[in-house]
Amino acid sequence: MNHETVSRRVAVSGVGAVSGLGWGVAPLWEGLRAGRTAIRPIQRFDHTAHRTHLAAEAAGPEDAGLAADPRWERLSLADRFAVAAAAEALAMAGLAPPLASLDDLWAGVWFGSSTGGMFESERFFNEFLHGRWRSARLRDLATQQVNVPGDAVARWFGVTGPVRTVSSACSSGALALGAALDAVRSGEVDVALAGGSDSLCQLTYAGFNALRSVDEGPCRPFRACREGMSFGEGAAVLVLEPLERVQERGGEPLAVLAGAGSACDAHHMTAPDPSGAGAAAAMEAALRDAGLSAAQIDFVNAHGTGTPLNDAAEWRALQRVFGERAGEIPLTATKALLGHLLGSSGAIEAVTTVLCLRHGELHPVPACAGGPAVDPELPVALVLDRPLPLPDARAAISTSLAFGGSNAALVFSRWMGT
Amino acid sequence: MSEAPAVPSRIKRLIVESLHLEGMKPEMIEDEAPLFGEGLGLDSVDALELVVALEKEFGIKIKSQELGREVFSSVSTLSEFIETRT
Repeated sequence: MNHETVSRRVAVSGVGAVSGLGWGVAPLWEGLRAGRTAIRPIQRFDHTAHRTHLAAEAAGPEDAGLAADPRWERLSLADRFAVAAAAEALAMAGLAPPLASLDDLWAGVWFGSSTGGMFESERFFNEFLHGRWRSARLRDLATQQVNVPGDAVARWFGVTGPVRTVSSACSSGALALGAALDAVRSGEVDVALAGGSDSLCQLTYAGFNALRSVDEGPCRPFRACREGMSFGEGAAVLVLEPLERVQERGGEPLAVLAGAGSACDAHHMTAPDPSGAGAAAAMEAALRDAGLSAAQIDFVNAHGTGTPLNDAAEWRALQRVFGERAGEIPLTATKALLGHLLGSSGAIEAVTTVLCLRHGELHPVPACAGGPAVDPELPVALVLDRPLPLPDARAAISTSLAFGGSNAALVFSRWMGT
Repeated sequence: MSEAPAVPSRIKRLIVESLHLEGMKPEMIEDEAPLFGEGLGLDSVDALELVVALEKEFGIKIKSQELGREVFSSVSTLSEFIETRT
């Protein structure tokens, strides 16, 4: 994200999402506004052997048009989430597939994922190892690689430009968006489908439980009683295009992706640097890239996993970036409602941030019964129970702070008509 | 005691079951219809899946891709191949 190469402003012309609140952006926004959590008892697999029993599984009916396509049945869940989110985002942007590499439309896909079709691969091995070879499907095994959701999007929509997958744990989606931003700015592509997809699977469910990183109840970011994260699943896709391109065809940008930044803690395999220095460096890089100061940011969509360590480090990072404003700047934590979407969390929180900017209000999280509203040690201005009207909000930052100390931040600004 | 089903019906049942073809019944597959591309619209992963299933069911071996392409063109070519080998 080099300033000298910045040549074009980049609009978000469409968004699509699949989450625990439903298939589509409409149920997502409705649930977010209501502060309704999608974290419920798991239906997908037998969870009796696991330490915890909740997750925000994708709910509601699939798009009937997509499901009627004979290719649909052969896609993994993560691929279906990805294709459905991309279809919605393209329709919103007013772009019709195939997005083949024509002279006037060079399109690419930038995607994040942590586990691809791992859920299906687990099913394969479960059947195979129990001697049920007839119900063990090779296709379930073939879908496992993390690049498969992005590739599925490219195949479904005929994208023949660059198709790239980022897998950097929980910052994957945000880093994919940052890479797509660079590609649109530099003119490498005119249209980028950028986002991420992950489905719930036992590997990550067991892994995070083994690390004692999962709350037995729905996660409670920034609260004193917080005990860990909750799992979610789903996908989010943002269509990124040069602003002029969207205006030329009479479209209306939903928002501007103004900047992206990343930085590594170089500290620990899973734990964040408690000083928050790496997270702050990523946020400052994103602000520089956007040409904005911290004072110009109106709200924060926090990584806010609800683990004791993440939220404490994130508070320190907010203090570094916002100084005395750290406890005043309105903040939300989407994971309290959707759980943690791992490789696509940065993407769905980008969509959430765009929706909040566009609607001029910040979505709430449910207040906890008893105890202080937020941890007195981390006195963030968390929006509780009711949406916070922010009709004049012009810019927002969304953070993704991953295992391995991989920190990423995205800055969006509201489309003001110029 | 009922007679064992003929090879073509066993193949059709295997196609539907092993490839999890939703909404498809074995008797809907025509003996001469191409399995890949236009006909049933199967792809290369389906082909692999079917090779494994047929090898297990009939104890045959498909040793090369060339042979596979020939043998797998339709239910009739498959059943001919199986009947000469079992």
